[in-house]
Amino acid sequence: MTNTVEVTGLSKWFGPKVAVSEVTIGFGPGVTGLLGPNGAGKTTLMRVIAGLQVPSQGTISVLGRDPRADSSVYGSMALVPEDEAVYEHLTGRRFVELAARLAKVDDPKGRAQSVLETVELTDAADRALGGYSKGMRQRAKVAAALVPDPEVLLLDEPLNGADPVQRAQLIGLFKELGAAGRTVIVSSHVLREVERMADRVVAMVDGRLAAVGSVATIRAAMTDKPRQVFVDCTDPRSLASELIGTPNVIGVHVNGAQLMIEAADAREVALQLPGLATRRGVSISRIEPADESLESVFRYLVEGR
Amino acid sequence: MVLTRHLYRRLMRRARVIWLVVLASVPGLIFAIAGIDVSTDDLTEAFLGIMLSVGFTYAIAALILTVSTLRDERDAGTLPYIYMRPIPRVSLAISSLLAGVLAAATIAVGGWITTVLAGLLHGADMSVVMPSAALLLAAAVGYAAVFVPVGYLFSRSVLVGLGYLVLLELALSGLVSGLAQLSIWRIAASIYVDMVDTTGIPVDEVLGAVAPGVGGGLVKLGVVLVLGLGVLTWALRRRDAL
Repeated sequence: MTNTVEVTGLSKWFGPKVAVSEVTIGFGPGVTGLLGPNGAGKTTLMRVIAGLQVPSQGTISVLGRDPRADSSVYGSMALVPEDEAVYEHLTGRRFVELAARLAKVDDPKGRAQSVLETVELTDAADRALGGYSKGMRQRAKVAAALVPDPEVLLLDEPLNGADPVQRAQLIGLFKELGAAGRTVIVSSHVLREVERMADRVVAMVDGRLAAVGSVATIRAAMTDKPRQVFVDCTDPRSLASELIGTPNVIGVHVNGAQLMIEAADAREVALQLPGLATRRGVSISRIEPADESLESVFRYLVEGR
Repeated sequence: MVLTRHLYRRLMRRARVIWLVVLASVPGLIFAIAGIDVSTDDLTEAFLGIMLSVGFTYAIAALILTVSTLRDERDAGTLPYIYMRPIPRVSLAISSLLAGVLAAATIAVGGWITTVLAGLLHGADMSVVMPSAALLLAAAVGYAAVFVPVGYLFSRSVLVGLGYLVLLELALSGLVSGLAQLSIWRIAASIYVDMVDTTGIPVDEVLGAVAPGVGGGLVKLGVVLVLGLGVLTWALRRRDAL
């Protein structure tokens, strides 16, 4: 897979504050989730890729071009900024049409209508943006970004303020764009939603890359973090005593009818459990890995710094 | 033109335009009041004196308006919507400067209309009033060329612009003859005084070392425009847009 966005040795500082430090990464077609706590450098990274901020060090290449040097790249790249800022006096339709005219697309009115339909904003299109809810503004911004039919789409917290239905609709749209071969980079602090839409995750902490890959790949690489497995069974104490001393099991905690096992290899434990339970006459009703989610992985990454 | 029209409309917010036109109208308003006790023979001299000295209030109005051309977009966080477009940076700079010039010219026209009305009120010679339009329009072009880039580059752009007006235009350009050539107001006034009879008017006090002349004034304005365009294009390419 060819990368459409290449970030090489990128650092960005504002006076004494280092926002992004020595980041080298590539982004290709599909949806990539950009994660990090507040101040991790996600927005700065997006802005530098977008050409809105100048790298203090390093280079950016989008579709083989430097956005700072070649503005033609903006015919194939768009950003939905995090700020709520829109032209409040314009209607949604005028806002998107302005974007279409500036993007020099053929038939700006037709294109505006098309993208407004895509984000399901046609009913409110002729109302001033100043009267829009936060979620509607987000959709208007997404519509304006979709106007040039971008190859590379940067979305900085695009789900902020959107209600659950709008979130589901936008997530579906981003997944469709990713599946259609567009490079979609989404930053979000809502990890469950990133998990739903992103094929790949880039985690940033303190301006540096903390991890890159699928959630499973990143979790698998965390060999220093034991896997947690929850087991619901009829006699957790009995099963716990059977597990203690078993190779691979690091710790066992009993909480009511539930057993929490810490193991170096959760899969190995899952395979051992039926045999151990049978030996003790314990019946198991549920086995569930507890920390395989993006939220757990992300927590480990942030805590580990 | 789409971008110029967008930026111009954004600048022309009703409340802001009204009070800036009032500020640009100060010479006309003063002339309307001061002309009451002036004999018809002295009206022309009074008008010229007022335009050249008090007309500087227009510079402040032009400053406040033109620094906002891109500064409003930056401060509001809407700049990405115009910056991230397949438009060469030099075209973006030209569109911004054009919007600034048009906006400054609009309030200049407002101020000029007040001046004309004041002249008509007192029966002044209209051949004197008409060149004042050239003074204000020349100032509009010059100030937009200086203040649009200032607005993009500095978050406290009005303060920076006031520093330029007070320190350079009012103080230093009168003290150091070489610096007089950098004063937009003196350049605009050099065009104006070449178009009217300035007998009895202390023109040197206003122009300093700048020689009167329409041609020379236009060339200097052209140089200021090119420099402004160069600085703004450089800033759009090399400085953070957010």
